[in-house]
Amino acid sequence: MSLQKSFQAASANSFFVKYKKLIIAALLILFLFLLGEVTVSNFLSIGQILLTIKLSSFIALFGLCQMIVIAAGGGGLDLSVGYTATATAVLTASMMDGKNENLWIALLVALGIGLLVGAANGLLTAYVKLPPLVVTMAMSQIIQGGINVYTAGKNITGKPSPVLQIIAARTSGPIPNIMFLLIALTVIVMVFLYKTRLGALLFGVGANPVAAHLSGVDVKKIRSISYVVSGVLASLIGLLLLGNMGLAFKDMGSNYVMPSIAAAVVGGVPLTGGDGNYLGVVLGAIFLQTLTNLLVALGWGDAGKWTGFGIVLFLLLIVYVSNRRKR
Amino acid sequence: MNILEAKNVRKNFGGVVALSGANLTCREGRITGLLGANGSGKSTLSKIIAGAYAPDAGEIAYLGKVVRYRNPYEAKKQGIGMVYQNLSLVAELTIWQNIVLGDETRKGYSLDDKAAKKKSAEIVQKLLPGLDIDKKVYELTPGEMQIVEIGKAVSAKPRLLILDEPTAALEEAQVKSLFKLMRELAASGVAIVFTSHRLWEVMEICDDLTIFRNGQNVASLDFDKDEKDAREIVFHITGSQKETAIAKNCAQTCGDTRLSIGSLNFGTVLKNISFDLRKGEILGIGGLAGQGQQELMLALAGNFRNLSCDAKIDDKKIKLTKPGKAIRNGIVLVPGDREVEGLFPRHSVFSNLIFPKLGMKRQSLFIPRKQYRKECERITDILAIKAAGLDVPVSTLSGGNQQKVVIGKWLTSEIKVLLLSDPAKGIDVGAKMDLYDYIVKEVRGTGMSVILYASDIKELVEFCDRLMIMYEGNIVRILETDEISEENAIRASMCVDEGSGEPVK
Amino acid sequence: MKSGKLRGSGIRRITSKPEFSSFLMLVIMLVLTAVLQKNFFETKSIMRNINAFAPLILVAMGQAVVILSGGLDLSSGSALSLLTCVLTFVMKKNDPASGVYAIIIAFLVAILLGVINGFGTGYLRIPPVIATFATSFIWLGIALFLRPTPGGESVWWFGVFYDFNALKDVSGFFGTVGAFLPPALVLILAGCLLWFMVSKTRTGRYIYAVGGNNDSAYESGIKTAKVQILAYVINSMYIFLAALFFVGQTGSGDARMGDPLTLRSIAAAVVGGVALAGGRGNVYFALVGALILSLVNKIIFFADIPYAYQTLVGGAIVIIAIAGSQAYITASTRTKEIKIG
Repeated sequence: MSLQKSFQAASANSFFVKYKKLIIAALLILFLFLLGEVTVSNFLSIGQILLTIKLSSFIALFGLCQMIVIAAGGGGLDLSVGYTATATAVLTASMMDGKNENLWIALLVALGIGLLVGAANGLLTAYVKLPPLVVTMAMSQIIQGGINVYTAGKNITGKPSPVLQIIAARTSGPIPNIMFLLIALTVIVMVFLYKTRLGALLFGVGANPVAAHLSGVDVKKIRSISYVVSGVLASLIGLLLLGNMGLAFKDMGSNYVMPSIAAAVVGGVPLTGGDGNYLGVVLGAIFLQTLTNLLVALGWGDAGKWTGFGIVLFLLLIVYVSNRRKR
Repeated sequence: MNILEAKNVRKNFGGVVALSGANLTCREGRITGLLGANGSGKSTLSKIIAGAYAPDAGEIAYLGKVVRYRNPYEAKKQGIGMVYQNLSLVAELTIWQNIVLGDETRKGYSLDDKAAKKKSAEIVQKLLPGLDIDKKVYELTPGEMQIVEIGKAVSAKPRLLILDEPTAALEEAQVKSLFKLMRELAASGVAIVFTSHRLWEVMEICDDLTIFRNGQNVASLDFDKDEKDAREIVFHITGSQKETAIAKNCAQTCGDTRLSIGSLNFGTVLKNISFDLRKGEILGIGGLAGQGQQELMLALAGNFRNLSCDAKIDDKKIKLTKPGKAIRNGIVLVPGDREVEGLFPRHSVFSNLIFPKLGMKRQSLFIPRKQYRKECERITDILAIKAAGLDVPVSTLSGGNQQKVVIGKWLTSEIKVLLLSDPAKGIDVGAKMDLYDYIVKEVRGTGMSVILYASDIKELVEFCDRLMIMYEGNIVRILETDEISEENAIRASMCVDEGSGEPVK
Repeated sequence: MKSGKLRGSGIRRITSKPEFSSFLMLVIMLVLTAVLQKNFFETKSIMRNINAFAPLILVAMGQAVVILSGGLDLSSGSALSLLTCVLTFVMKKNDPASGVYAIIIAFLVAILLGVINGFGTGYLRIPPVIATFATSFIWLGIALFLRPTPGGESVWWFGVFYDFNALKDVSGFFGTVGAFLPPALVLILAGCLLWFMVSKTRTGRYIYAVGGNNDSAYESGIKTAKVQILAYVINSMYIFLAALFFVGQTGSGDARMGDPLTLRSIAAAVVGGVALAGGRGNVYFALVGALILSLVNKIIFFADIPYAYQTLVGGAIVIIAIAGSQAYITASTRTKEIKIG
């Protein structure tokens, strides 16, 4: 019996099982690229791949927000990231007005917006115990309303500071700069999640809030903090979006919300919380962007994109989340 | 005629034997009582008969035919009804809606509410006259909910009715009404199986009695022929008396009072509990299952925010309103259900062992892995945790080793009071011995105090220096070292007076 | 433990229900609106209001059915948009019969949408929130396929779903009726009739049971997956009625027009006393909730608060509504389990 158990333990530990979900995500991407190459010429080329990675960066960045909130457990999701980013972009665009001097002020404003939204989300979900999806959806609408009020009757003016533009839009040689940011961020995030005590607390709270509570950890506080982090990150991403687009407009962020959640699911982040590998989320983002490119190349445009996303998400939910009654 | 015959039924739950050859006969029109200590198998057998579990071996014959039900609903359709302690009511519906739930009759195309209400009113009036059947179940007291649950089972017109501890939540008057109903049903030919922890009830209502111990039935008494002797019944429950003299040298090693608890009250669950715990002492909490023992453990661990209690540890006043506060004062809990409450199943042994440290104040941001790993290896040695390395998911460990991990995570902090909530439940003998060996050694060696709740009375008798017996949220008896024996413990659990042998109401 | 007798006066019983407070709020809103809008009680104005409120009322009633069964439908808005696109895709302007085909096909599509949502949540047991979140994008995508830009064709008589006057050339009767009776009202009444019929059957009772306690319902022998599918299908029927109204009004289909209705329908149901946890509430009062929300918007308009604030207030109302509903339920539920954490 003990031999069997230790064998089980060894194989449970083996590379393939541990990184099963990452491998699946990578295979899915490969599959799409091959499919693309067959149906549309020139799909599998260095230029195309780099472009895909650049475009998927924003999905991956928003996906980080989702991952943190999801990992904390309790069915957490953050639908307000899109408009949080937009709000920051809109507010800071005229502040910076194309110069670097005011970048610091813009950063502070972003921090402020992120803290405010995140704290509200955190309080309402962790302490008042309202369902996260509905709360963040409503919050998203409130922010949208706020933007409407702020921009009522006037045009949104302003340009991002050149620093932001360099990071978000420009390339160094063939490689888009934002990819460097993404790689650096991936490393930082992984270190944070797996090597620091805060990361371990986050996963513990998500994996088993009861056990965490009995071990003396304040579950509500940690869940609230996860929303604050998500909000602040979303704000900062707003600055990058601004740098990428060169100007701010009302719908900047909203198209990224759904893909960010889908990227997390594709990347194997369990929706119940307690675990998560950011590399998986990045791969998930690349997968979704590749899917979009393929659908666009096939001439199916926006319609195909949303249908594709929806179906992929639904199928993955069946595989990863469905919980058929075992009696 | 025999409505039900269970022969040689066996049932295992993942390595733990619940039934090892149980037999039961239920005759038409007779009320059969099932008695036994915790874990004796009586509940498991009831659930198997009702279709909730499938037996591993053995035969159940209902109305002469051998049957094997896949779920309780199938059994219900055949006429076997069961009233559980975990209610299967829908709180948002009314009483009468719950009673007919699943079996509603139709009048034309719509539901026949009138007939449903009439049917429900009839049965409810017999049990609790005056209860308004239009009330929603969430407005009811636990006792009233139990009545509805009973009404639901009875109105399905079963031929065999199993009542699993139905009187636990009821008051005396309600119990009397229930008994009247039971006699009516029996008179009309229904076979009834009845479990209760109140000995006086069993002796009053049952026609015969089957006593369980260790997964088998050890005695059957037919009250038509045999006498109703409480002493004899308790004797059967506990088994032959092997008065093992346990060398308890508490008098030498036990020190001053470490923890003193006064007037601990929590809602209706814990009533006016007071006791002292000395240094180096193992204090046991016993009694029948569900009398508040686990809640007491949770309360002492600081889990209830609204707890009212005077607590002092080493003469310092403390508040037990948050787990963090208890932990900082050295009171740590090893919870009852380790997978649900004590572990992160998918995380590694290492992660589980170090978790409480992460929540403590003044810790560094980066986890000092090397240092912690050394400590974990030491803990693994001390507790003899068998695992293929520190990095395997803790769900791959056996139950006993999992439990060691749950204890192990506290070892690097100073433990003054170790609360053990049924630590050996579902654990194999070897691991159980390791566990208790370690605990006793720590206690004698470092003067750590232990409060031990175990559902198996033998564990309590063997290891405890003193034993508190709980009954319905109160402490009814504290057995001193020389008074501890299985028989005394069971007698106190069932509120049987030691002198007269008569059950105390 | 006394067996509590909440006899008291029958009045106390009525006033303590959450539905009563929403009814009270409705009366207050009506009074406020009447004060702000001078011609509130004129026929034309009432007709206009009913037409404006109808879509939310219908979608909210459907949402209420789903919420009662323990689920949630975040794809309501997209489903509505999709149905309008289907209708205007099938109909050909010059072929009056195509209108009939369109209605039949849209009806079947509606049922299919409901079945998919119900299957995912009831049988596959995917949490409704995320399942319908996913399907909302599938519906959106398909709608965009059919109608990349708003438009499409509609037969001449389809307007009857919006205004009886559309048929006044057919018969003078329609003209007279059309002067004071908006078809929207008929649609709403059809919706009420639908629920009336369902609530009398086993399905109606089981929707409450499954929403109240899925496990207990299952243990009582109820086929919970089937009930959940039926709840979503009934919801689709309401969305279908709303789609008829929209196409009747505009003659065109739009893949995004339904989006704002999703969240508002949830808020309306909650304001109307339907508990988000399931099993408690009443579909007719979701109607009341929808009226209240719509009147709040009107009040904002008439109080000269800039239109820009509407979105903001809308979102805030959702939060206030569900927070209030949550607080009310926690307060009124008697059983307090011993919970950890």
